[in-house]
Amino acid sequence: MHRWRRVLAPTVAGVVLLVGWEAGVRASGLPAFVLPAPSQVARTAVDVAPLLGGHVVTTLTEAGLGLLVGAVVGLLLAVLIAAFPWVQDTVYPLVTLTQTVPTVVLAPLLILWAGFGLLPKVVLVALTAFFPVLVAAVTAMAAVDAEHAEMVAGLGGTRRHQFWLVQLPASVPGALGGLRVAATYAIGAAVVAEYLAGQSGLGVFVQRSRKGYEVDQILVAVVLVAVLTGLLFLLVDGLARLATPWQRPSNRSRPGRTPA
Amino acid sequence: MRPGPMTTSPSTEAVPAHEDLTTAPALEVAGLTVTFTGEGRRATADVVALRDVDLRVAAGEFVAVVGPSGCGKSTLLRILAGLTPAGAVVAARTLTTPVDANGTRTTAWMPQRDGLLPWRRAWSNALVGARIAGVGRAVADERARTLFDAFGLAGFERAWPHELSGGMRQRLALLRTCLPGRPVLLLDEPFGALDAITRRRMNAWLAGLDLAGHGRAAGAGRAVVLVTHDVDEALLLADRVVVLSDRPGRVVLDLRVPRGDPTSARQALLEALDPQGGTGASGGGEVRARRGPRRRGRGAAARAARRTARG
Repeated sequence: MHRWRRVLAPTVAGVVLLVGWEAGVRASGLPAFVLPAPSQVARTAVDVAPLLGGHVVTTLTEAGLGLLVGAVVGLLLAVLIAAFPWVQDTVYPLVTLTQTVPTVVLAPLLILWAGFGLLPKVVLVALTAFFPVLVAAVTAMAAVDAEHAEMVAGLGGTRRHQFWLVQLPASVPGALGGLRVAATYAIGAAVVAEYLAGQSGLGVFVQRSRKGYEVDQILVAVVLVAVLTGLLFLLVDGLARLATPWQRPSNRSRPGRTPA
Repeated sequence: MRPGPMTTSPSTEAVPAHEDLTTAPALEVAGLTVTFTGEGRRATADVVALRDVDLRVAAGEFVAVVGPSGCGKSTLLRILAGLTPAGAVVAARTLTTPVDANGTRTTAWMPQRDGLLPWRRAWSNALVGARIAGVGRAVADERARTLFDAFGLAGFERAWPHELSGGMRQRLALLRTCLPGRPVLLLDEPFGALDAITRRRMNAWLAGLDLAGHGRAAGAGRAVVLVTHDVDEALLLADRVVVLSDRPGRVVLDLRVPRGDPTSARQALLEALDPQGGTGASGGGEVRARRGPRRRGRGAAARAARRTARG
Protein backbone atom coordinates (compact mmCIF):
# COMPACT_ATOMS: atom_id res chain seq x y z
CA MET A 1 0.00 0.00 0.00
CA HIS A 2 2.67 2.40 1.09
CA ARG A 3 4.97 1.41 -1.75
CA TRP A 4 2.17 1.80 -4.26
CA ARG A 5 1.57 5.30 -3.05
CA ARG A 6 5.23 6.15 -3.53
CA VAL A 7 5.05 5.11 -7.19
CA LEU A 8 1.51 6.14 -7.95
CA ALA A 9 1.43 9.58 -6.37
CA PRO A 10 4.30 11.15 -8.36
CA THR A 11 3.09 9.48 -11.57
CA VAL A 12 -0.39 10.91 -11.17
CA ALA A 13 1.04 14.32 -10.28
CA GLY A 14 3.21 14.25 -13.40
CA VAL A 15 0.32 13.27 -15.67
CA VAL A 16 -1.91 15.96 -14.17
CA LEU A 17 0.81 18.55 -14.79
CA LEU A 18 1.27 17.46 -18.42
CA VAL A 19 -2.46 17.45 -19.10
CA GLY A 20 -2.79 20.90 -17.50
CA TRP A 21 0.10 22.18 -19.61
CA GLU A 22 -1.41 20.74 -22.82
CA ALA A 23 -4.86 22.14 -22.04
CA GLY A 24 -3.43 25.52 -21.02
CA VAL A 25 -1.43 25.92 -24.22
CA ARG A 26 -4.38 24.91 -26.44
CA ALA A 27 -6.85 27.14 -24.62
CA SER A 28 -4.63 30.23 -24.54
CA GLY A 29 -3.26 29.80 -28.06
CA LEU A 30 0.32 30.63 -27.02
CA PRO A 31 2.68 30.57 -30.02
CA ALA A 32 4.99 27.53 -30.20
CA PHE A 33 8.14 29.71 -29.96
CA VAL A 34 7.02 30.79 -26.48
CA LEU A 35 5.64 27.55 -25.07
CA PRO A 36 4.89 24.47 -27.17
CA ALA A 37 2.41 21.86 -25.92
CA PRO A 38 3.86 18.60 -24.57
CA SER A 39 2.33 16.70 -27.48
CA GLN A 40 4.31 18.88 -29.87
CA VAL A 41 7.49 18.39 -27.84
CA ALA A 42 6.94 14.64 -28.14
CA ARG A 43 6.47 14.89 -31.90
CA THR A 44 9.63 17.00 -32.21
CA ALA A 45 11.51 14.46 -30.11
CA VAL A 46 10.64 11.75 -32.64
CA ASP A 47 11.59 14.03 -35.54
CA VAL A 48 15.00 15.08 -34.19
CA ALA A 49 15.88 11.69 -32.68
CA PRO A 50 18.23 10.75 -35.55
CA LEU A 51 20.12 14.03 -35.00
CA LEU A 52 20.51 13.54 -31.28
CA GLY A 53 22.60 10.34 -31.25
CA GLY A 54 25.90 12.07 -31.94
CA HIS A 55 25.21 14.86 -29.46
CA VAL A 56 24.33 12.40 -26.71
CA VAL A 57 27.50 10.38 -27.32
CA THR A 58 29.63 13.54 -27.11
CA THR A 59 27.98 14.73 -23.90
CA LEU A 60 28.17 11.31 -22.28
CA THR A 61 31.85 10.94 -23.20
CA GLU A 62 32.68 14.32 -21.67
CA ALA A 63 30.65 13.64 -18.55
CA GLY A 64 32.00 10.11 -18.10
CA LEU A 65 35.65 11.03 -18.63
CA GLY A 66 35.30 14.14 -16.47
CA LEU A 67 33.68 12.15 -13.70
CA LEU A 68 36.44 9.53 -13.82
CA VAL A 69 39.24 12.11 -13.81
CA GLY A 70 37.49 14.07 -11.05
CA ALA A 71 37.03 10.97 -8.89
CA VAL A 72 40.64 9.86 -9.28
CA VAL A 73 42.04 13.34 -8.61
CA GLY A 74 39.67 13.84 -5.68
CA LEU A 75 40.61 10.54 -4.06
CA LEU A 76 44.35 11.07 -4.63
CA LEU A 77 44.17 14.54 -3.14
CA ALA A 78 42.19 13.19 -0.18
CA VAL A 79 44.89 10.56 0.39
CA LEU A 80 47.61 13.21 0.29
CA ILE A 81 45.66 15.37 2.70
CA ALA A 82 45.23 12.46 5.10
CA ALA A 83 48.90 11.51 4.88
CA PHE A 84 50.44 14.98 5.16
CA PRO A 85 48.70 17.62 7.27
CA TRP A 86 50.66 20.40 5.57
CA VAL A 87 49.04 19.43 2.26
CA GLN A 88 45.67 20.05 3.84
CA ASP A 89 46.76 23.47 5.11
CA THR A 90 48.21 24.41 1.73
CA VAL A 91 45.76 22.92 -0.71
CA TYR A 92 42.37 23.00 0.97
CA PRO A 93 41.83 26.78 0.83
CA LEU A 94 42.89 26.87 -2.83
CA VAL A 95 40.63 23.96 -3.68
CA THR A 96 37.70 25.62 -1.95
CA LEU A 97 38.47 28.78 -3.92
CA THR A 98 38.12 26.92 -7.24
CA GLN A 99 34.61 26.00 -6.18
CA THR A 100 33.58 29.59 -5.61
CA VAL A 101 34.03 30.35 -9.32
CA PRO A 102 30.92 29.40 -11.34
CA THR A 103 31.30 27.04 -14.29
CA VAL A 104 30.00 29.66 -16.71
CA VAL A 105 32.84 31.99 -15.76
CA LEU A 106 35.51 29.32 -15.86
CA ALA A 107 34.43 27.75 -19.16
CA PRO A 108 35.48 30.62 -21.50
CA LEU A 109 38.95 30.63 -19.96
CA LEU A 110 39.32 26.87 -20.39
CA ILE A 111 38.09 27.11 -23.98
CA LEU A 112 40.59 29.88 -24.62
CA TRP A 113 43.42 27.74 -23.32
CA ALA A 114 42.37 24.25 -24.40
CA GLY A 115 40.44 24.85 -27.62
CA PHE A 116 36.97 23.84 -28.74
CA GLY A 117 37.44 20.10 -28.46
CA LEU A 118 36.85 17.51 -25.80
CA LEU A 119 39.57 18.59 -23.37
CA PRO A 120 38.09 21.80 -21.89
CA LYS A 121 34.76 20.05 -21.29
CA VAL A 122 36.40 17.10 -19.55
CA VAL A 123 38.45 19.49 -17.42
CA LEU A 124 35.35 21.44 -16.51
CA VAL A 125 33.37 18.35 -15.53
CA ALA A 126 36.37 17.06 -13.56
CA LEU A 127 36.61 20.40 -11.74
CA THR A 128 33.00 20.16 -10.61
CA ALA A 129 33.19 16.42 -9.88
CA PHE A 130 36.37 16.20 -7.83
CA PHE A 131 35.22 18.52 -5.07
CA PRO A 132 32.38 16.43 -3.59
CA VAL A 133 34.57 13.32 -3.88
CA LEU A 134 37.45 15.07 -2.13
CA VAL A 135 35.36 16.51 0.69
CA ALA A 136 33.51 13.25 1.34
CA ALA A 137 36.72 11.19 1.31
CA VAL A 138 38.61 13.61 3.56
CA THR A 139 35.72 13.66 6.02
CA ALA A 140 35.53 9.86 6.05
CA MET A 141 39.29 9.51 6.62
CA ALA A 142 39.27 12.07 9.42
CA ALA A 143 36.35 10.31 11.08
CA VAL A 144 38.05 6.89 11.16
CA ASP A 145 36.68 4.76 13.97
CA ALA A 146 39.06 5.11 16.93
CA GLU A 147 38.30 1.48 17.69
CA HIS A 148 39.89 0.38 14.40
CA ALA A 149 42.89 2.66 14.73
CA GLU A 150 43.55 1.37 18.25
CA MET A 151 43.15 -2.23 17.16
CA VAL A 152 45.86 -1.75 14.54
CA ALA A 153 48.12 0.08 16.99
CA GLY A 154 47.54 -2.61 19.62
CA LEU A 155 48.77 -5.26 17.22
CA GLY A 156 51.96 -3.27 16.64
CA GLY A 157 50.80 -1.43 13.51
CA THR A 158 52.70 1.62 12.27
CA ARG A 159 51.27 4.72 10.58
CA ARG A 160 51.71 2.96 7.26
CA HIS A 161 49.54 0.09 8.47
CA GLN A 162 46.97 2.54 9.78
CA PHE A 163 46.78 4.11 6.36
CA TRP A 164 46.49 0.96 4.26
CA LEU A 165 44.41 -1.12 6.64
CA VAL A 166 42.07 1.49 8.09
CA GLN A 167 42.14 4.99 6.64
CA LEU A 168 42.11 4.22 2.93
CA PRO A 169 39.37 1.56 2.99
CA ALA A 170 37.34 3.66 5.42
CA SER A 171 37.39 6.51 2.92
CA VAL A 172 35.92 4.43 0.08
CA PRO A 173 32.23 4.61 1.08
CA GLY A 174 32.64 8.34 1.66
CA ALA A 175 34.33 8.90 -1.67
CA LEU A 176 31.61 6.91 -3.42
CA GLY A 177 28.97 9.01 -1.70
CA GLY A 178 30.73 12.08 -3.09
CA LEU A 179 30.84 10.46 -6.51
CA ARG A 180 27.06 9.97 -6.40
CA VAL A 181 26.67 13.70 -5.81
CA ALA A 182 29.21 14.46 -8.54
CA ALA A 183 27.31 12.25 -11.00
CA THR A 184 24.30 14.56 -10.74
CA TYR A 185 26.45 17.57 -11.71
CA ALA A 186 28.46 15.95 -14.48
CA ILE A 187 26.02 16.10 -17.42
CA GLY A 188 24.96 19.61 -16.51
CA ALA A 189 28.55 20.84 -16.40
CA ALA A 190 29.30 19.23 -19.77
CA VAL A 191 26.21 20.82 -21.36
CA VAL A 192 27.11 24.28 -20.06
CA ALA A 193 30.64 23.97 -21.49
CA GLU A 194 29.26 22.84 -24.84
CA TYR A 195 26.74 25.66 -24.88
CA LEU A 196 29.54 28.22 -24.65
CA ALA A 197 31.65 26.70 -27.40
CA GLY A 198 31.69 23.40 -29.22
CA GLN A 199 30.91 21.47 -32.35
CA SER A 200 28.88 18.66 -30.88
CA GLY A 201 26.94 17.80 -27.76
CA LEU A 202 23.57 18.54 -26.21
CA GLY A 203 24.75 22.04 -25.28
CA VAL A 204 25.47 22.75 -28.94
CA PHE A 205 22.06 21.38 -29.85
CA VAL A 206 20.40 23.70 -27.32
CA GLN A 207 22.44 26.64 -28.61
CA ARG A 208 21.36 26.02 -32.22
CA SER A 209 17.73 25.49 -31.21
CA ARG A 210 17.73 28.75 -29.26
CA LYS A 211 18.95 30.66 -32.28
CA GLY A 212 16.00 29.29 -34.30
CA TYR A 213 13.47 29.92 -31.52
CA GLU A 214 12.79 26.19 -31.53
CA VAL A 215 11.60 25.97 -27.97
CA ASP A 216 10.23 22.46 -28.52
CA GLN A 217 13.76 21.25 -29.36
CA ILE A 218 15.16 22.94 -26.26
CA LEU A 219 12.55 21.15 -24.19
CA VAL A 220 13.53 17.83 -25.79
CA ALA A 221 17.11 18.53 -24.73
CA VAL A 222 15.96 19.42 -21.20
CA VAL A 223 14.17 16.10 -20.86
CA LEU A 224 17.15 14.29 -22.33
CA VAL A 225 19.59 15.92 -19.87
CA ALA A 226 17.34 14.93 -16.98
CA VAL A 227 17.05 11.34 -18.20
CA LEU A 228 20.80 11.01 -18.86
CA THR A 229 21.62 12.44 -15.43
CA GLY A 230 19.24 9.95 -13.84
CA LEU A 231 20.80 7.07 -15.77
CA LEU A 232 24.34 8.19 -14.89
CA PHE A 233 23.36 8.42 -11.24
CA LEU A 234 21.89 4.93 -11.30
CA LEU A 235 25.06 3.60 -12.96
CA VAL A 236 27.37 5.22 -10.40
CA ASP A 237 25.10 4.08 -7.58
CA GLY A 238 25.19 0.51 -8.90
CA LEU A 239 28.99 0.58 -9.23
CA ALA A 240 29.26 2.01 -5.71
CA ARG A 241 27.19 -0.86 -4.35
CA LEU A 242 29.35 -3.38 -6.17
CA ALA A 243 32.47 -1.74 -4.75
CA THR A 244 31.22 -1.84 -1.15
CA PRO A 245 29.62 -5.27 -0.73
CA TRP A 246 30.07 -5.17 3.05
CA GLN A 247 27.57 -2.37 3.49
CA ARG A 248 24.27 -3.56 4.87
CA PRO A 249 21.25 -2.79 2.69
CA SER A 250 19.81 -0.63 5.47
CA ASN A 251 22.94 1.48 5.52
CA ARG A 252 23.24 1.96 1.78
CA SER A 253 20.95 4.94 1.73
CA ARG A 254 23.42 6.76 3.98
CA PRO A 255 26.62 7.12 1.97
CA GLY A 256 29.79 7.48 3.96
CA ARG A 257 28.53 5.45 6.87
CA THR A 258 30.14 2.13 7.68
CA PRO A 259 28.11 -0.40 9.59
CA ALA A 260 29.04 -0.54 13.26
CA MET B 1 68.51 -3.99 33.07
CA ARG B 2 68.06 -7.21 34.94
CA PRO B 3 65.38 -6.98 37.57
CA GLY B 4 66.10 -7.13 41.26
CA PRO B 5 65.03 -9.94 43.54
CA MET B 6 61.94 -11.81 42.51
CA THR B 7 58.70 -10.56 43.94
CA THR B 8 57.00 -13.35 45.74
CA SER B 9 53.36 -13.99 45.26
CA PRO B 10 51.55 -14.10 48.54
CA SER B 11 48.91 -16.72 48.17
CA THR B 12 46.43 -18.39 50.39
CA GLU B 13 48.03 -21.76 49.88
CA ALA B 14 51.56 -22.95 49.65
CA VAL B 15 52.03 -23.52 45.95
CA PRO B 16 55.29 -24.89 44.63
CA ALA B 17 57.48 -22.43 42.84
CA HIS B 18 56.37 -21.87 39.28
CA GLU B 19 58.67 -22.01 36.28
CA ASP B 20 58.81 -18.23 36.28
CA LEU B 21 61.59 -18.51 38.82
CA THR B 22 63.84 -20.09 36.23
CA THR B 23 62.93 -18.16 33.10
CA ALA B 24 63.15 -14.47 32.40
CA PRO B 25 59.75 -12.78 32.55
CA ALA B 26 58.10 -12.04 29.22
CA LEU B 27 56.66 -8.89 30.66
CA GLU B 28 57.78 -6.89 33.64
CA VAL B 29 56.55 -3.73 35.26
CA ALA B 30 57.87 -2.34 38.53
CA GLY B 31 56.82 0.80 40.36
CA LEU B 32 54.47 1.90 37.61
CA THR B 33 52.65 5.11 38.43
CA VAL B 34 50.30 6.69 35.92
CA THR B 35 48.95 10.19 36.38
CA PHE B 36 46.41 11.92 34.20
CA THR B 37 47.24 15.59 34.16
CA GLY B 38 44.27 17.89 34.53
CA GLU B 39 45.39 20.22 31.77
CA GLY B 40 42.46 20.04 29.32
CA ARG B 41 39.74 22.63 29.03
CA ARG B 42 38.93 22.67 32.70
CA ALA B 43 42.07 22.75 34.82
CA THR B 44 41.16 19.94 37.17
CA ALA B 45 43.47 18.35 39.67
CA ASP B 46 45.76 15.58 38.50
CA VAL B 47 44.27 12.12 38.82
CA VAL B 48 46.54 9.26 39.82
CA ALA B 49 45.22 6.23 37.97
CA LEU B 50 47.83 3.68 39.04
CA ARG B 51 50.26 3.88 41.93
CA ASP B 52 53.42 1.84 42.31
CA VAL B 53 52.12 -1.21 40.44
CA ASP B 54 54.36 -4.28 40.05
CA LEU B 55 53.55 -7.02 37.58
CA ARG B 56 55.68 -9.84 36.25
CA VAL B 57 54.37 -12.34 33.79
CA ALA B 58 56.42 -15.30 32.62
CA ALA B 59 56.14 -16.98 29.25
CA GLY B 60 53.54 -19.71 29.51
CA GLU B 61 51.71 -17.94 32.30
CA PHE B 62 48.12 -16.70 32.24
CA VAL B 63 47.60 -13.77 34.60
CA ALA B 64 44.26 -12.13 35.27
CA VAL B 65 44.07 -8.57 36.54
CA VAL B 66 40.84 -7.87 38.40
CA GLY B 67 39.65 -4.71 40.03
CA PRO B 68 36.65 -2.46 40.36
CA SER B 69 35.59 -0.21 37.48
CA GLY B 70 37.86 2.78 37.09
CA CYS B 71 40.77 1.25 38.99
CA GLY B 72 43.07 1.68 36.01
CA LYS B 73 43.32 -1.95 34.93
CA SER B 74 42.59 -1.10 31.31
CA THR B 75 45.11 1.73 31.51
CA LEU B 76 47.69 -0.76 32.79
CA LEU B 77 47.01 -3.03 29.82
CA ARG B 78 47.14 -0.17 27.34
CA ILE B 79 50.50 0.93 28.66
CA LEU B 80 51.79 -2.61 28.31
CA ALA B 81 50.49 -2.57 24.73
CA GLY B 82 52.18 0.76 23.99
CA LEU B 83 48.88 2.59 23.72
CA THR B 84 49.53 5.24 26.32
CA PRO B 85 46.31 7.22 26.69
CA ALA B 86 46.37 10.93 25.89
CA GLY B 87 47.29 13.07 28.86
CA ALA B 88 48.80 10.20 30.83
CA VAL B 89 52.18 10.64 32.49
CA VAL B 90 53.87 7.29 32.94
CA ALA B 91 56.63 6.74 35.47
CA ALA B 92 58.12 3.35 36.23
CA ARG B 93 61.32 1.85 37.62
CA THR B 94 61.07 -0.97 35.12
CA LEU B 95 58.79 -1.28 32.10
CA THR B 96 59.95 -4.19 29.99
CA THR B 97 57.86 -5.43 27.10
CA PRO B 98 59.17 -7.82 24.48
CA VAL B 99 60.53 -6.41 21.23
CA ASP B 100 61.70 -8.10 18.05
CA ALA B 101 65.00 -7.66 16.25
CA ASN B 102 63.84 -4.35 14.73
CA GLY B 103 62.90 -2.99 18.13
CA THR B 104 59.18 -3.23 17.38
CA ARG B 105 56.93 -4.14 20.24
CA THR B 106 55.70 -7.72 19.98
CA THR B 107 52.65 -7.54 22.18
CA ALA B 108 49.20 -8.22 20.79
CA TRP B 109 46.37 -6.26 22.41
CA MET B 110 42.71 -7.07 22.09
CA PRO B 111 40.16 -4.39 22.98
CA GLN B 112 36.80 -4.98 24.60
CA ARG B 113 35.05 -4.10 21.35
CA ASP B 114 36.09 -6.45 18.59
CA GLY B 115 37.56 -3.82 16.24
CA LEU B 116 36.79 -5.97 13.21
CA LEU B 117 37.14 -4.05 9.95
CA PRO B 118 33.71 -4.01 8.29
CA TRP B 119 35.18 -4.00 4.77
CA ARG B 120 37.09 -7.26 5.28
CA ARG B 121 35.57 -10.71 5.34
CA ALA B 122 36.18 -12.91 8.38
CA TRP B 123 39.23 -14.58 6.85
CA SER B 124 40.77 -11.33 5.77
CA ASN B 125 40.08 -9.79 9.18
CA ALA B 126 41.84 -12.72 10.83
CA LEU B 127 44.97 -11.98 8.79
CA VAL B 128 45.22 -8.31 9.83
CA GLY B 129 47.45 -9.07 12.81
CA ALA B 130 49.68 -11.33 10.77
CA ARG B 131 50.05 -8.67 8.09
CA ILE B 132 51.10 -6.10 10.69
CA ALA B 133 53.54 -8.56 12.26
CA GLY B 134 55.02 -9.31 8.84
CA VAL B 135 54.05 -12.98 8.85
CA GLY B 136 54.20 -14.40 5.33
CA ARG B 137 50.91 -14.93 3.56
CA ALA B 138 51.33 -18.70 3.15
CA VAL B 139 52.21 -19.20 6.82
CA ALA B 140 49.36 -16.94 7.91
CA ASP B 141 46.85 -18.80 5.72
CA GLU B 142 48.02 -22.10 7.13
CA ARG B 143 47.67 -20.89 10.73
CA ALA B 144 44.28 -19.34 9.97
CA ARG B 145 43.03 -22.68 8.64
CA THR B 146 43.96 -24.40 11.90
CA LEU B 147 42.64 -21.60 14.08
CA PHE B 148 39.31 -21.23 12.28
CA ASP B 149 38.63 -24.84 13.24
CA ALA B 150 39.85 -24.42 16.82
CA PHE B 151 37.82 -21.23 17.26
CA GLY B 152 34.63 -22.73 15.87
CA LEU B 153 34.59 -20.37 12.91
CA ALA B 154 35.03 -22.94 10.15
CA GLY B 155 32.49 -22.30 7.40
CA PHE B 156 32.35 -18.57 8.13
CA GLU B 157 35.57 -17.63 6.33
CA ARG B 158 33.72 -15.57 3.70
CA ALA B 159 31.24 -13.93 6.09
CA TRP B 160 31.25 -10.19 6.61
CA PRO B 161 31.72 -9.15 10.25
CA HIS B 162 28.15 -7.84 10.52
CA GLU B 163 26.88 -11.26 9.58
CA LEU B 164 28.50 -12.88 12.63
CA SER B 165 27.00 -13.16 16.10
CA GLY B 166 28.51 -11.27 19.01
CA GLY B 167 30.27 -14.34 20.33
CA MET B 168 31.70 -15.18 16.91
CA ARG B 169 32.93 -11.64 16.41
CA GLN B 170 34.79 -11.76 19.71
CA ARG B 171 36.28 -15.15 18.82
CA LEU B 172 37.36 -13.79 15.47
CA ALA B 173 38.93 -10.79 17.18
CA LEU B 174 40.78 -13.14 19.53
CA LEU B 175 41.86 -15.26 16.57
CA ARG B 176 43.23 -12.17 14.85
CA THR B 177 45.15 -11.34 18.04
CA CYS B 178 46.56 -14.87 18.41
CA LEU B 179 47.41 -15.55 14.78
CA PRO B 180 50.64 -13.53 14.51
CA GLY B 181 52.10 -15.72 17.27
CA ARG B 182 53.20 -12.80 19.43
CA PRO B 183 54.80 -13.84 22.71
CA VAL B 184 52.52 -11.62 24.81
CA LEU B 185 48.73 -11.43 24.58
CA LEU B 186 46.97 -8.54 26.30
CA LEU B 187 43.22 -9.10 26.52
CA ASP B 188 41.05 -6.24 27.77
CA GLU B 189 37.76 -7.80 28.90
CA PRO B 190 37.53 -9.77 25.68
CA PHE B 191 34.00 -10.94 26.42
CA GLY B 192 32.89 -7.96 28.48
CA ALA B 193 30.51 -6.74 25.79
CA LEU B 194 28.66 -10.05 25.52
CA ASP B 195 25.54 -11.10 27.36
CA ALA B 196 26.02 -13.20 30.49
CA ILE B 197 25.17 -16.56 28.97
CA THR B 198 27.35 -16.13 25.89
CA ARG B 199 30.17 -14.84 28.08
CA ARG B 200 29.97 -17.93 30.26
CA ARG B 201 30.13 -20.13 27.18
CA MET B 202 33.04 -18.17 25.74
CA ASN B 203 34.95 -18.47 29.00
CA ALA B 204 34.42 -22.22 29.20
CA TRP B 205 35.67 -22.48 25.62
CA LEU B 206 38.61 -20.18 26.28
CA ALA B 207 39.61 -22.19 29.35
CA GLY B 208 39.92 -25.26 27.13
CA LEU B 209 41.96 -23.43 24.51
CA ASP B 210 45.13 -23.06 26.62
CA LEU B 211 46.27 -19.76 25.13
CA ALA B 212 49.36 -19.63 27.31
CA GLY B 213 50.50 -23.07 26.17
CA HIS B 214 50.95 -24.80 29.50
CA GLY B 215 51.83 -28.08 27.89
CA ARG B 216 54.93 -26.67 26.26
CA ALA B 217 58.43 -26.48 27.60
CA ALA B 218 59.19 -23.72 30.06
CA GLY B 219 59.56 -20.42 28.25
CA ALA B 220 58.05 -21.71 25.03
CA GLY B 221 54.52 -20.68 25.86
CA ARG B 222 52.89 -17.31 25.66
CA ALA B 223 52.40 -14.76 28.39
CA VAL B 224 48.74 -13.82 28.63
CA VAL B 225 47.37 -10.90 30.62
CA LEU B 226 43.61 -10.75 30.93
CA VAL B 227 41.85 -7.74 32.40
CA THR B 228 38.41 -8.40 33.82
CA HIS B 229 36.06 -7.32 36.56
CA ASP B 230 34.67 -10.82 36.89
CA VAL B 231 36.30 -12.85 39.66
CA ASP B 232 34.92 -16.16 38.40
CA GLU B 233 36.23 -15.49 34.90
CA ALA B 234 39.64 -14.76 36.39
CA LEU B 235 39.65 -17.94 38.49
CA LEU B 236 38.50 -20.08 35.59
CA LEU B 237 41.09 -18.86 33.12
CA ALA B 238 44.16 -17.68 34.98
CA ASP B 239 47.12 -19.26 36.73
CA ARG B 240 47.49 -16.17 38.83
CA VAL B 241 45.13 -13.38 39.76
CA VAL B 242 46.32 -9.87 40.54
CA VAL B 243 43.84 -7.67 42.38
CA LEU B 244 43.94 -3.90 41.95
CA SER B 245 42.37 -1.53 44.46
CA ASP B 246 40.07 1.38 43.76
CA ARG B 247 41.72 4.38 42.11
CA PRO B 248 44.58 4.95 42.44
CA GLY B 249 45.03 1.32 41.48
CA ARG B 250 47.55 -0.54 43.62
CA VAL B 251 48.21 -4.26 43.70
CA VAL B 252 46.47 -5.44 46.85
CA LEU B 253 46.72 -9.17 46.22
CA ASP B 254 48.74 -11.41 43.94
CA LEU B 255 47.19 -14.83 44.20
CA ARG B 256 48.21 -18.08 42.57
CA VAL B 257 45.07 -19.96 41.63
CA PRO B 258 45.10 -23.34 43.34
CA ARG B 259 44.32 -26.39 41.27
CA GLY B 260 41.09 -28.05 42.24
CA ASP B 261 38.75 -26.24 44.56
CA PRO B 262 38.88 -22.47 44.01
CA THR B 263 36.45 -21.62 46.83
CA SER B 264 39.03 -20.33 49.26
CA ALA B 265 40.84 -18.45 46.50
CA ARG B 266 37.54 -16.88 45.48
CA GLN B 267 36.93 -15.81 49.04
CA ALA B 268 40.38 -14.26 49.26
CA LEU B 269 39.87 -12.39 46.01
CA LEU B 270 36.52 -10.99 47.02
CA GLU B 271 37.92 -9.86 50.34
CA ALA B 272 40.83 -8.16 48.64
CA LEU B 273 38.49 -6.46 46.21
CA ASP B 274 36.24 -5.14 48.91
CA PRO B 275 38.05 -4.99 52.23
CA GLN B 276 35.10 -3.31 53.91
CA GLY B 277 33.63 -6.74 54.23
CA GLY B 278 30.42 -8.55 53.55
CA THR B 279 31.35 -9.52 50.03
CA GLY B 280 31.76 -13.22 50.58
CA ALA B 281 28.06 -13.72 50.88
CA SER B 282 26.99 -11.27 48.20
CA GLY B 283 28.57 -13.46 45.57
CA GLY B 284 28.02 -12.98 41.87
CA GLY B 285 31.65 -12.19 41.35
CA GLU B 286 30.84 -8.78 39.92
CA VAL B 287 32.86 -6.06 41.50
CA ARG B 288 31.35 -2.68 42.23
CA ALA B 289 33.50 0.36 42.64
CA ARG B 290 33.37 2.04 46.02
CA ARG B 291 34.49 5.48 46.93
CA GLY B 292 36.01 6.80 50.10
CA PRO B 293 38.73 5.67 52.44
CA ARG B 294 38.93 2.09 53.50
CA ARG B 295 40.42 0.03 56.22
CA ARG B 296 43.65 -1.58 55.30
CA GLY B 297 42.61 -5.16 55.05
CA ARG B 298 44.50 -8.19 54.00
CA GLY B 299 45.44 -6.49 50.75
CA ALA B 300 47.59 -4.00 52.54
CA ALA B 301 49.18 -6.78 54.53
CA ALA B 302 49.91 -8.66 51.37
CA ARG B 303 51.49 -5.61 49.87
CA ALA B 304 53.63 -5.08 52.92
CA ALA B 305 54.74 -8.70 52.72
CA ARG B 306 55.73 -8.23 49.13
CA ARG B 307 57.65 -5.08 49.91
CA THR B 308 59.65 -6.95 52.51
CA ALA B 309 60.34 -9.76 50.13
CA ARG B 310 61.56 -7.35 47.51
CA GLY B 311 63.97 -5.84 49.96
